Amino acid sequence: MVRVKSRYLLCEVNVSDRSRLLLLDDRAVAATVKAAVARIHGDYGAALCSIRFSVKYLNAHTGIVFLRFPKKCYRLLWSALPFITCIETRGQKISCFLNCLHVGGTMRTCQKFLIRYNTQQLHRMLPKCKNEEEKQQVQKAILNCSLTGRNKEAFEVESESEEDEEEE
Amino acid sequence: MRNQPASVQYPSSLLNAESSPKNGGDTPVTGVHEGPSDVHPFTARPKNPHQRGGWVRGHQKDGGGYAKEMSKYITAGPFARARAAEVSTMLKAVTKTTGSCHVFGALPKHMRRRAMSHNTKRLPRRLRDAANRMAGSKKKKEQAKSKSRKARRRHGNLLLEFNRRQRKNVWLETHIWHAKRFHMVKKWGYCLGDRPTYKCYRPSYRAMSSHCLLQDLSYYCCIELQGEEDKLLASLSQLCSKEAGPTFAAAVCLSGRRQGSVVVYRAGLYPSQPLGPVTFLWRPRTQGSAHRQLWIWAHPNMKQDLLPELQAVCQCCEAVVPPVLPVVTPAEVVPTVEPEPKPEKTAEAKQVTGTKRKRTFKDAGGPPAKKILGDGTRSPTTSVTWKSSSNGIVINDLTMEIVRYRLIGPQSHSVLAETMEPATDCDVRIMPSSLWWPEHCKNQSKMNLHREQADVFHILKGLYSTGELPSGTVLGLTVDDPRLTLPTKKVKALPCVKQVDEEKTRELMLRGVPEHCCQSYLWEQSVRDNVTENKISEQELNRMRSEVLVPGSRLSPTPLQGRVPVLLVHQPGKQLGHEMSSWGAGWDLLLPKGWGMAFWVPLVYRGVHIGGLNMSLKHSQNKGAPHFPHDYPDCPAGVRFQEEQETQLLDKFKRRPPAKRTNYIKHGCLAPFCCPWQQLAEEWELISRQGGEERKGDQTQTTAEADALMTSHGDIPVTKPPSRVTVLRNRKSLRVLSGWCRPTTSKGQRRCRVGEVPPLDRLALTSFLTAHGMSLVWVRLSILSKGKPELHAMVCAPTAEDLKLLKKESFSGPQEPTHKDHFKSRIRRRKKAPKKAATSSLCRDKAEGKESELPSSPSHLVVGLWPDPLPSVTAHCSRVTLGWVTQGDFSLSAGCGEALGFVSVAGLLNTLLNQPMEHRGMLLLRDPTSLHYRFAKINIEV
Repeated sequence: MVRVKSRYLLCEVNVSDRSRLLLLDDRAVAATVKAAVARIHGDYGAALCSIRFSVKYLNAHTGIVFLRFPKKCYRLLWSALPFITCIETRGQKISCFLNCLHVGGTMRTCQKFLIRYNTQQLHRMLPKCKNEEEKQQVQKAILNCSLTGRNKEAFEVESESEEDEEEE
Repeated sequence: MRNQPASVQYPSSLLNAESSPKNGGDTPVTGVHEGPSDVHPFTARPKNPHQRGGWVRGHQKDGGGYAKEMSKYITAGPFARARAAEVSTMLKAVTKTTGSCHVFGALPKHMRRRAMSHNTKRLPRRLRDAANRMAGSKKKKEQAKSKSRKARRRHGNLLLEFNRRQRKNVWLETHIWHAKRFHMVKKWGYCLGDRPTYKCYRPSYRAMSSHCLLQDLSYYCCIELQGEEDKLLASLSQLCSKEAGPTFAAAVCLSGRRQGSVVVYRAGLYPSQPLGPVTFLWRPRTQGSAHRQLWIWAHPNMKQDLLPELQAVCQCCEAVVPPVLPVVTPAEVVPTVEPEPKPEKTAEAKQVTGTKRKRTFKDAGGPPAKKILGDGTRSPTTSVTWKSSSNGIVINDLTMEIVRYRLIGPQSHSVLAETMEPATDCDVRIMPSSLWWPEHCKNQSKMNLHREQADVFHILKGLYSTGELPSGTVLGLTVDDPRLTLPTKKVKALPCVKQVDEEKTRELMLRGVPEHCCQSYLWEQSVRDNVTENKISEQELNRMRSEVLVPGSRLSPTPLQGRVPVLLVHQPGKQLGHEMSSWGAGWDLLLPKGWGMAFWVPLVYRGVHIGGLNMSLKHSQNKGAPHFPHDYPDCPAGVRFQEEQETQLLDKFKRRPPAKRTNYIKHGCLAPFCCPWQQLAEEWELISRQGGEERKGDQTQTTAEADALMTSHGDIPVTKPPSRVTVLRNRKSLRVLSGWCRPTTSKGQRRCRVGEVPPLDRLALTSFLTAHGMSLVWVRLSILSKGKPELHAMVCAPTAEDLKLLKKESFSGPQEPTHKDHFKSRIRRRKKAPKKAATSSLCRDKAEGKESELPSSPSHLVVGLWPDPLPSVTAHCSRVTLGWVTQGDFSLSAGCGEALGFVSVAGLLNTLLNQPMEHRGMLLLRDPTSLHYRFAKINIEV
């Protein structure tokens, strides 16, 4: 009914050196975004960025980041994202840029988008595979992308057991 | 949030991992490059954030090391695997519900209903099981199944239920009648009717002034004292003083012909520490016996103070455990009359109160429980009789033993005359019976007395108004059961003045009832019990009526049980003042217990109006008399009442939203809910004392001086030990004060008794104030122009300019400038910066100086109310405050606003002294919610 509305930005961290992607860390990303906003929009921006801004999800393997901004001012904050050139984490600077893939009103829409986006990517990869081993691996990955069959059952059993635990 | 994917990142133990590779052997959680063995390392991970292992959210120190070996180039396998793992976690997150763990989260939004959250039956059936399993832990308690309505309404069960409901607050005998028609309040251990549910304010007033208003006053407590006359008088004389009016020993009361009223003080502490007003009634003397019986009627709120005091005065400390009367009753009862032993009954009653609903009675066939005819202010186990070994006085608590109805109005005697008929004789030849009346009929002297009483009662019908009788007249009587003469329709009782026996009527009006006619058998415990026990039940009476040959005719031989001894006590009307004298006079009808409803309904059928507590307040207000416990601020009961009233009013005030509340600070009203009488008296005492010292000849204005004084008041410590504030009840002093209040030159005023009053000058004033400096005086204020005084309106002294302006026709009264609310900003600041405000307000207070007495921690501040401690109450506004109003309303009898209240004696005299002769006694009234002062005329009525 009535709630505080936010915008979730689904961004991709593009790095030049892929091995350093694993260094990523949600705190570091948050600090970098804040710094960028403060640099571009000054104190006003920094203040806006301090309210209800957070990094909701970060995958260090794929470089996917969910950023949450207040809906009121997300355009302003978003406009600062292209100015990020590097993320400083664990004493190292990772040069990168953020590419915004999707803007959603809820986490769920972002997640749905991400599912679609990733599967699309995998499907695109499949015809371009160079050798048989790669092809098999990608095919397997595509199969894993759905919650059907054995996978799903296992998942449900697990969730059931978990619920039972919680009831006690 | 449940079921949300956690971030996939490596813990920041980079340094540790580099220095000490503790995860040497076992492969860490990464799993990306581990080879084909683990198929989907991601799937197990993010669902359980609290589960260790895998990528963990947050920054743990103990986590696995940082895996450096991500290849520099993109390879299809890991890339695809990483994507696939992410997709599956996201899928899970999307399909599973987040947030609350309720099952209906799974439902689409348009199918959700609010009631589902607590009633699983609202859910679709497929989800019900899961919901039931989840809700199982917080299942509500099963409500106890109640009996069917029919079972509950069965007579015995109903009585049990009634007894259960009376455990805390006792019901009067007319409770059920009242509960159907009145707003009931629980007060003083009783359930009392406050005001009727129908609109009847004006009709009730009209009934009081022209016909008759009926009230049930059975909640008043009766305390019986028995003993030798001189010993009783000696003990009771400690409780009151002659200065405050007639005492217990007043000759006309002592003979038993009149009821008296007196304000009782703590023993030997006359001017201070009053307990409250009581009325008392002596039983007429019997020949050759010094043994006397005295009833003291007190309000239940003061009984807890009065009873210990009486016991102390009479040295009655021995509680007589079996309440068998240890005294010889002066008028002999025939010994064959065997009253039902009382202890049994109380025991039975006790048992009833103990058992809740379970039936533990031996006789299940009979009526399982009797109605408790007991008392609300004491527990059933305490004894009701105390005896003194030294002087033979016996104190008996007769609370709820006697029913007392009050009829107010000039026609109350005709209502009584129409309702009741003197008891008819019965045949003397009848066998000795257990009933009291046949036994009485055998005794010729008793029958003579009865005939005389009946004659007096017949003369009563010829009176024009109840007020014509001498106040407090008592008449004993024995009457027939009034249910027998119940009219079929409600009729209005009217006087029949035609039957004239001028001589006798005049005799009655002048002399009152002769002494021997004041005797009644109601005084005797045995007769009372006998009458109560042998009352014909309503059911039986109806059966007898149905057997009458002509339907609707009177039962021809009156049943033997239907004779009731009653006592009629005249209540004085307005005694104070000159106008409307004897307004609101009436009769009190005293009955043995158990007969309440039998008399109530016939009285109601005579066209009387019924009033509640609210009407008794209005009655005393119109009479100009203080009403207990509202107007006794110096009595413990009055203090209790004031506190109660304050919390009530404050609660009501706080129920409003803050923006809609009256800001009493801005109105300059310090105490809208509770009047600080003590502070007022102390301040005025100080002012008058200092005024006396400083001023030797110069006639400065009181107001200016008071202002000057009060500004410095905060610094001067009160050196005198604080004495309690009292209400002035000394008749002589009141008379003097009353004379001083009147303008001496105005034409309309009668100059009766003014001649004796010494002229008001400084000398008389100082001598008066040395005696009554700390006193309050009860005053009546009538407003000159329009305006309706409210509760706790301020009584203020006008300045000289105000009095000059008064001569103009158009001038309705001065205005109070709006005050500033310093606290409001403080509260606001406090809200914003809770820590800083405390310190800053402290500093600011010191800087302001005058307001240094304000509290430094305004955590309990209420917007619009002055916090404790109050600043000087007298000089807070532009006009000096003298006192407050405790009862104020538009008076229907006077046709203008009238207020009753207290003013400080010192303040009043200082004001009067500075007023010119023609305006003497002119004061100002201001409501707490208004800024407009209204002129009012002060009246002190003795």
